[in-house]
Amino acid sequence: MSSTSLPSPSAEMQWVLPSRGRVGMFCLIAAETAIFTIFVIAYIFYLGKSVSGPTPKDVLELPIFASICLLSSSLTIHMAVKSLRNAKVGAFGLWWLLTLVLGGIFLGETGREWYHLIYDKGLTISTNLFGTTYYSLVGLHAFHVTVGLLMISVAMLLTVFGKVKPEHHERADVFSLYWHFVDSIWIVVFTVVYIIGR
Amino acid sequence: MASESIAIGRLDAPARQIGEILHDWVTTVDHKKLGLLYIMYAILFLVIGGIEATIMRIQLIVPHNNFVSPQVFNEMFTMHGTTMIFFVAMPIVFGFGNYFVPLMIGARDMAFPRLNAFSFWISAFGGLLLYFSFVGGNGLYGAGNAPDVGWFAYAPLTAKAFSLGHSTDFWTLGLLVSGIGSIGTATNLIATVLCLRCPGMTLGKMPLFAWMNLVMAGLVLLAVSPLTAAQVMLSLDRYLGAHFFDTQAGGSAVLWMHFFWIFGHPEVYVLVIPAFAFVSEIIPVFSRKPIFGYPIMVGATVSIGFLSFLVWAHHMFTVGMNSYANSFFAISTMLVGVPTGIKIFNWIATMWGGKIRFGTPMLFCIAFLLQFLIAGLTGIMLSVAPFDWQLGNSYFVVAHFHYVIVGGILFGLFGAFYYWFPKMSGRMYNDALSKWHFWLFLIGFHLTFDFMHIPGLLGMPRRIYTYEPGRGWDVWNLIVTIGVFFQGAGILIFVGNLLWSSLKGKFAGNDPWDAWTLEWSTASPPPEYNFATLPTVNSRRPLWDIKHPEDPD
Amino acid sequence: MSSMDAQPVVEKSGLDTVKLPAPTAWPIAMAFGVTLLSAGLVTSETVSILGGILAVAGAVGWFLDVLPHEKHVSVPVEEEAGVVAVSRRKVERLPVAPELARALLPLETYPISAGVKGGLAGAVAMAVLACLYGIVNQGSIWYPINLLAATIYGQSMALTPATLTGFHLDSFLLACLLHLITSLLVGLMYGAMLPMFPRRPILLGGVIAPVMWSGLIHNILGFINPLLDQKIDWLWFVASQFAFGIVAGLVVVKQARVRTRQVLPFAMRAGFETSGGAGGTRSKENP
Repeated sequence: MSSTSLPSPSAEMQWVLPSRGRVGMFCLIAAETAIFTIFVIAYIFYLGKSVSGPTPKDVLELPIFASICLLSSSLTIHMAVKSLRNAKVGAFGLWWLLTLVLGGIFLGETGREWYHLIYDKGLTISTNLFGTTYYSLVGLHAFHVTVGLLMISVAMLLTVFGKVKPEHHERADVFSLYWHFVDSIWIVVFTVVYIIGR
Repeated sequence: MASESIAIGRLDAPARQIGEILHDWVTTVDHKKLGLLYIMYAILFLVIGGIEATIMRIQLIVPHNNFVSPQVFNEMFTMHGTTMIFFVAMPIVFGFGNYFVPLMIGARDMAFPRLNAFSFWISAFGGLLLYFSFVGGNGLYGAGNAPDVGWFAYAPLTAKAFSLGHSTDFWTLGLLVSGIGSIGTATNLIATVLCLRCPGMTLGKMPLFAWMNLVMAGLVLLAVSPLTAAQVMLSLDRYLGAHFFDTQAGGSAVLWMHFFWIFGHPEVYVLVIPAFAFVSEIIPVFSRKPIFGYPIMVGATVSIGFLSFLVWAHHMFTVGMNSYANSFFAISTMLVGVPTGIKIFNWIATMWGGKIRFGTPMLFCIAFLLQFLIAGLTGIMLSVAPFDWQLGNSYFVVAHFHYVIVGGILFGLFGAFYYWFPKMSGRMYNDALSKWHFWLFLIGFHLTFDFMHIPGLLGMPRRIYTYEPGRGWDVWNLIVTIGVFFQGAGILIFVGNLLWSSLKGKFAGNDPWDAWTLEWSTASPPPEYNFATLPTVNSRRPLWDIKHPEDPD
Repeated sequence: MSSMDAQPVVEKSGLDTVKLPAPTAWPIAMAFGVTLLSAGLVTSETVSILGGILAVAGAVGWFLDVLPHEKHVSVPVEEEAGVVAVSRRKVERLPVAPELARALLPLETYPISAGVKGGLAGAVAMAVLACLYGIVNQGSIWYPINLLAATIYGQSMALTPATLTGFHLDSFLLACLLHLITSLLVGLMYGAMLPMFPRRPILLGGVIAPVMWSGLIHNILGFINPLLDQKIDWLWFVASQFAFGIVAGLVVVKQARVRTRQVLPFAMRAGFETSGGAGGTRSKENP
């Protein structure tokens, strides 16, 4: 009676669902975005509410070089994934290494900035509200960069030992979503901390 | 209970050692076993949290009572709230989601089976860490102190100066650790629903149960994360001397309230939307009619999820916000009543004209409808800011949210237990005992929580340790406490019935309710692989199509 | 019959085994490690160190479980009675008297826009009367507006009799919003209800509803707007209610009616995805 509207076997063959890796990563990114939102709100809420110095204007300098490194690492990881999808494992390794180096430079720069703030300017997390919110927000981001770099290093080791095959391109792709997320969060942190907050 | 009944399926299999069975459960990545673990763990904590509530109620049965000391009373209300929300309600809804979402969408397991195991165990260990504080936590009163700052732990009570020792840290860390598990499970549920549906099951043909679990998981992702962030801030304050909630250094105690309630209010919907999901599956089957207004139910669920993020500050009317904030949150809170009302009408319309079977699951669902309606009405009353100024933090509020959580969510959960017990254990529950459970619990619930509104209206504040006689509160508190014993008896019968029936009950068969969703097409309990061949569906009621080939949906 | 082969396939398959993810202890090890790691904060550093080691070991073990390929076990498929039993019984139907009186839902009703128009028209009529009252009795057009805003606006309570006649932008905006929303909602309700009282719509809309509404307000005004309760002039208030009801009712009944979904087959009204399409008129109710 109603056979006309029933799907034919060929329609069943086209049953395509989203990749679980990507969906899972987007869920993680949603949760992380919520966490960062709370820290950013706290930062903005406490702007200028410190009862003692130093203030952001006194001590912060624009981390231009570090930002360029981190943002360009988004491009290199994209190139790496593209190479792996095209089965060019060698090119993948090179782009991947470049990503690792750029991320490493960013982390090193953050470390240098913190050293400068702590030992030269005397700003710690318990100095004032600015210190509290600054170290927690930038530190949360740096923690995410560190986790990402650890994962990149593991994948780099596997590449060196020849364990990475072109069929792993989907996993690399899923990981690159995380890395793009960490980079785009930096744009928010940079804007809030170094431009609006200064 | 499932391992027992799986063994029945293989009578020829040799009896296994207890160690082997234990190893099986500890290393399992099977969504059904993990679901059962979640549920059993939650029932254990339900009994513990119930005992804590009973201790509080015995303390309040007469004026000037000395059943427990004030500090123990503080620990009891803190642990009762924290336990019931984080270690009973959330694991139970995750357990049902874990068990039935893959079965209903025709999948063999969750999207990330190992993450699923990790999420369960880390939530479970988080609960154990919290409860370890009874032995290992040193607080204001020396060693062996549980957290005593209330379940929403307002600043500055949690500051180092006012909360010595580590009891508050146990609370923070326990929730932080179990929060990781919640986010993992939510991710898993979303990925499962979106990526593992069997051929033909478009989003529009998915059972409402799966839809509502999808929305619930989305809420968990966006609501638990702010709590995690706030807990990190609190830990930074307490361990590293940061000043987030330190008013002396310019920090704000109100900011903690905002952060807590931006989690706290969506959390209510994290718990109640699965209860909606249970009711939306049980009522159609027991009314012998398909759900009324499927697309509208989905839309209402999504809009409840959306609205739940716009209402958090109605928990904070008494803090003293400006008029614009008060007006905004009063109006947005009232708006929640619209999609909720739509749902209630849809359930009634499903029952309307149906051939209703008054089985125990259906009894709980009918009670759910009435009680959730009343809970919603007192919610609308409290959403009026001036009314809330009068009654905020009184027993009226306590009665209101217990009406939601016990009268709504817990009744829905009991319905779900009886409805799916035959599927999970392969055996039927004892019907007479289940009716005893229903009536005892219903009477106890109404004795306790109906009458609890009155001392609230008369000005009795929540969390009060004891009270003066002659304020008109005495008789109401007596009735409220008597009701607790009825509820306790009901719960004991419930747990006893589950244990006894899972070993000795009659075999239930695949499909005892003549239901329509995919979980009833496989064996009871389902084999490890759920479906030997993945099913293909053409409608919202695939089993109806099989049973009535001449009249498919 | 073609619908047979399109059924969900749940009968026994030809497969002997099904591949499932292999059980593993690494997730529980990692979970325990992470818990110990944080438990160290409330106990001692050694617990944290132990937890850290366990967490890393769990992560590595887990990693090796899924890379380069996920570990699987083959589970044998058991004999299974795949037939779904139908527990349907034949029952005798009780005869229903054909003349049995039953409630009917209107086959025709006003479109939503009619309610909106009625509400807006009523809002204007009511506002005109209210402002007239302000000018005639109090000498200020702002007086009733300030009173109305007090329903949701705490600051209004602080207004003194002197400032009550002045213009306050915040009160004005809130009062407009409140008036508009309430009027729209009441207008929509008129639009929905008037077809249910087909004989005398104006009697309902213009007389009965305002009387009932005024009675309700009279009883609860003390709660929802204490300020208005003190200052209210009931004669003018009831008059403005009548103005709203009559104008809104007249505007609504003037609109063209549309057919409701009552004329559609049940399946479509209930929102099923019917395989039979829109032509299917059979009832989907089970016996």
